[in-house]
Amino acid sequence: MNMKILKDILIIAELKSLPDLKRQPLILIVIGMLSALPLFFIVVFGGQLSYGLVGALVATVGFIGLMAAIQDVAWDRYVKIREIMVAMPVHPFSYAIGVALAPLMISAPGLLFFIALAVWLGVLTFSSLLWSILILILCWATLSSLGFLISTYLQRASVYTLNNLSNILGIALVFIPPVYYPEEFLGSFSWIALIFPTSNAAGLIRIYSGLLDASVEMIVVRWLILIATMVVSAFVTVAKARWREI
Amino acid sequence: MDAVKSVGLGKVYHSKEEVEALKDVNISIRKGELFTLLGPNGAGKTTFLRIISTQLLPTSGEAYVLDYNVLTQAVEVRKHIAVVPQDVATYGNFTPWEYSYYFSRLHGMSKSEAKSASEKALKAVELWDLRNRTCATLSGGEKKRAIIASALASNADIFMLDEPTSGLDAVARRKVWGVLREMIEQGKTILLTTHIMEEAEMVSDRLAIIHKGTVIAEGTPEQIKRLAKEKFRVVVEGNFNSLNLAENNNRVVKFGSKWIIYVEDEDEALEIVRTALKKGLKAETAPITLEDVFVKLVGGEAG
Repeated sequence: MNMKILKDILIIAELKSLPDLKRQPLILIVIGMLSALPLFFIVVFGGQLSYGLVGALVATVGFIGLMAAIQDVAWDRYVKIREIMVAMPVHPFSYAIGVALAPLMISAPGLLFFIALAVWLGVLTFSSLLWSILILILCWATLSSLGFLISTYLQRASVYTLNNLSNILGIALVFIPPVYYPEEFLGSFSWIALIFPTSNAAGLIRIYSGLLDASVEMIVVRWLILIATMVVSAFVTVAKARWREI
Repeated sequence: MDAVKSVGLGKVYHSKEEVEALKDVNISIRKGELFTLLGPNGAGKTTFLRIISTQLLPTSGEAYVLDYNVLTQAVEVRKHIAVVPQDVATYGNFTPWEYSYYFSRLHGMSKSEAKSASEKALKAVELWDLRNRTCATLSGGEKKRAIIASALASNADIFMLDEPTSGLDAVARRKVWGVLREMIEQGKTILLTTHIMEEAEMVSDRLAIIHKGTVIAEGTPEQIKRLAKEKFRVVVEGNFNSLNLAENNNRVVKFGSKWIIYVEDEDEALEIVRTALKKGLKAETAPITLEDVFVKLVGGEAG
C-alpha cells in the first residue's frame, strides 16, 4: 500500500470529522449518550452494570460502524462530493476507510469513558482490555463493511430512506440481540447471539472479562464467525461497489 | 497534444428503457482554451463530462485527457483534472477554506502547499474575506464559488465544470465568468457545460452544440453564428400582418404580441424597421444572437 493511500485515509477521516467537531462539539456526547441510555435502565431495574457496560462499548462501535457508513456515503452521493472524489487522485480504499474512521474519532470520548468505567469497576483487566479493543475494532470493521455493502446495493435509494434504514438497522442490531443483556436470557435460542456481529462481539468480550463461560472451541467458533462476517461483507462490497459508474 | 479528445464516444444507459445519451461524439479541446458544451437539458453534456472526468464508463469509442486514455489510465487522468459537478451542494459545516485546503491535500499537496494554493484560489474567487464562514451561512453564488475555489486550489491543468452558474443571479454569474476567464489567462484549460446562451457566447473560446447526444455544430461563437444564413433580427411589436412581409419568405417567430423576423442583410432589416415605424409599430433591429442560431439548429422554434 503506498503512502498516498494511507495519507488520504487520514485526510478524509479528518475532513469528515474535524469541521463537525469544531462547530458541533455536542456531537461528541450524542453517540455516547445513546449507548449509555440502556445503562440507566439496567441500574434502575437491578440488572448487572458489567453486562451493560460491555453492551455500551459494542453499541458505540456498532452505531458508528453501520450508521456512519450508510449515512455518510449516502450524504456524499447526495451533495455530489463523491463525484468530486471519484475524479480526484484518491483511491476508493482511502475513501472507504477514511469515511469509516471519521465517526470512530468522533465517538472516541464516549468509548474512552466506557472503557475507563469498565476498568475502574473491574469489568476489564489489562489483558481483557487488549482483547476487547481487538474485538471492538473487528466489530466496527464488520459493521462498516455491512454499511458499505448496504449503501452499494441501495445506490438509487434517497438519502432520507438510507438514513432511516441505517437508524433502524443500527438500533435493531444493538438492542434486539443480547448486546446489553446476557445471552443466557435466550435459553435454548442463545445461539442467536453468534449470528449478529454485535452480540457475538459482546459475548467474546464477556468471555475475556470472565462474565461468560465458554469452551476453547466455542471461543474459536465465535472468532471465526466474527472474522468471516467481516471478510465476506468486505469482499462482497469490494466486488459489487463501483467507484466509477457503468 | 489536445487537452481533451473524444473519438466516436457513445453512451447507452440501460435502465427501464434503453437511452442513447451520446452518439459518436468527436471533440478536440485545445490546451489553454475555454471550450463549452452547449445544449438543452438532457442533450448529453453531463454524460460527456462525466466520461471525460473518469466518473462514468462509455459504451463505445475512446477518450483522452492529455493523451491519457480515460478508460485505461484513469489514475493518470485524475492527477490532471478537477471537477465541479452539476448541482453540487456543500457540507453546511465546512468553510470555503476547508474545502480548498482538504481538496488540494487530496490532490497530493503538502500542508504548506495546500495552504498557499487555498489562499490564492479563495482570493481569485473573491471569497478570502469569507473563508472562515460556514457554507451554511453563504449565499448560493458564494457556495458555488467556494466549490470552484476548491477545484482551482488543486492546481489541475484541466477544469471540468458542469453548469457552474445554474441557479445563480446575474451578478453572481458574471463573477464566476470573470474567474473562468482569469483561469484561462493563467494557462488552464476549461471544459464547461451550460444551457445558458449568453454564458456560452461571453466566456467560450470555442463551443460545441450538442443535441440528443450528437454534436450538431462546433466552432467559435462567431463561427457558430455564421451557420445561419440570416445575420440580423428585427423585433416588431404590434400588428405584424400590416407589414405585408409574407412574400419575403423570411423566417418569422411569434412571441405573444412580438414578432421576430430574421433577415440576411442589414439593409433589409433597416427597411422593415422603417416600414414598421411608419405604420406606428414598435420595431428594432440587431445582429442575430447565438441563441437564435441555437434554437434554429436544435429545431425548438415556437411560432
